[in-house]
Amino acid sequence: MLGDSRKAQEVFHTTLREAAQRAAQGELPKEPFWLFRDARWRCLEATKTDIQPESREIDEHEVDPGAASQIEQLDPAQLAVWISSAPDPQRTALALFYLDEFDYTEILDIAELKLSALSRCLAKGRRQLQAWLDAKHPEQPKL
Amino acid sequence: MKTLRLLRRRRALLNCAPFSHDQLADRSMRSAVSRADSSDEFVNQRNFDRAVAALVCLVPIPAESAEWFSEQDLVVGSKWTWKKMVWNPAVLAISIAVVVIAGVFVFQLLGRLNDFPGSATARKLLAVAASTRPVMLDPVSTEAGTLSDLFFMKHGLEHYDVPSEFADFRTIGCRVFDDEESRRIAQIWLGEKRMQLFLFPADRNMKTGAVLHFPGWRYIHQEGWVGAVTERSGVCFMAALRGGEKDLEPYITKSKE
Repeated sequence: MLGDSRKAQEVFHTTLREAAQRAAQGELPKEPFWLFRDARWRCLEATKTDIQPESREIDEHEVDPGAASQIEQLDPAQLAVWISSAPDPQRTALALFYLDEFDYTEILDIAELKLSALSRCLAKGRRQLQAWLDAKHPEQPKL
Repeated sequence: MKTLRLLRRRRALLNCAPFSHDQLADRSMRSAVSRADSSDEFVNQRNFDRAVAALVCLVPIPAESAEWFSEQDLVVGSKWTWKKMVWNPAVLAISIAVVVIAGVFVFQLLGRLNDFPGSATARKLLAVAASTRPVMLDPVSTEAGTLSDLFFMKHGLEHYDVPSEFADFRTIGCRVFDDEESRRIAQIWLGEKRMQLFLFPADRNMKTGAVLHFPGWRYIHQEGWVGAVTERSGVCFMAALRGGEKDLEPYITKSKE
């Protein structure tokens, strides 16, 4: 979500500390995923003052059958930075989806999105990531 | 129109389809995935997603944060105590309900402990005693013991004998009436402490018709009235007055002596 481990750690600890305080006061919300929703808002707050990427059309390519090998060549930190630079709610959608910890209904709940919006964010994210992969690691032409 | 909406929803679901099969808990998602499972586009999407997720797993987590995800429990559950449990609203409500039910049960049980054959009729007659006025009875001034003959001669009531303990008291009036079960009840009003005497048929066994005997005197109470009941020859006798057991006891103990 943040692409910056220092900031991520700060948000993580703040979220947990506040949750512990609320628990001690018996004020924990009843609804599920409130902690994740809280963490998400903190992440968005933390990046509010950051330099925002220029809003311009990003290239989109259809997902390629050989994309898996292109992805393998990526550095995990690079991917984290790429996801964190996406505008919200696409950033939240991609981060939660690829964590592989939540099903789509849970993501809708945490990200406060509708199914159509989540679908759009993910589909667009895949195409943009493919375009970025194509630019970064062009596939070897098949002989 | 509806088909178009359905197709659009299926497309949306496929875009959000999980890449690990164990997360297909949702029925609509299962249906959408099973329809598209073999399409090249969907296979590409899944392979792409799996590859990205595998890389995301490798994103380094700061050591300080990683500590939180150790095998140990993050939060130690609050200690369970009796005091906490007792103040739980659900437990409290159930406890109060149980206490009330137990109270009613004990009350009923104590009431039943003093029950004897004919106690129900005796209670009804205590209510009758409370509502009777002297003018409702035929004026008769004699000794209570002599009324047995009157009941037999005039009303054909056998064994409607006033026990010796009360036989010598002067009467103010008497009457014979039927209760709601058409049983013949004899009622005598005494001058002594405005006491009332009742004679009524003893309860019988429903199957055999045999009289249900009980020994000695039994007390019953109702709305400030007390009755002392005994059974002889299939007829119950009850002496009733307003007050408590101690007001009737002297008459009963006198007979025992």
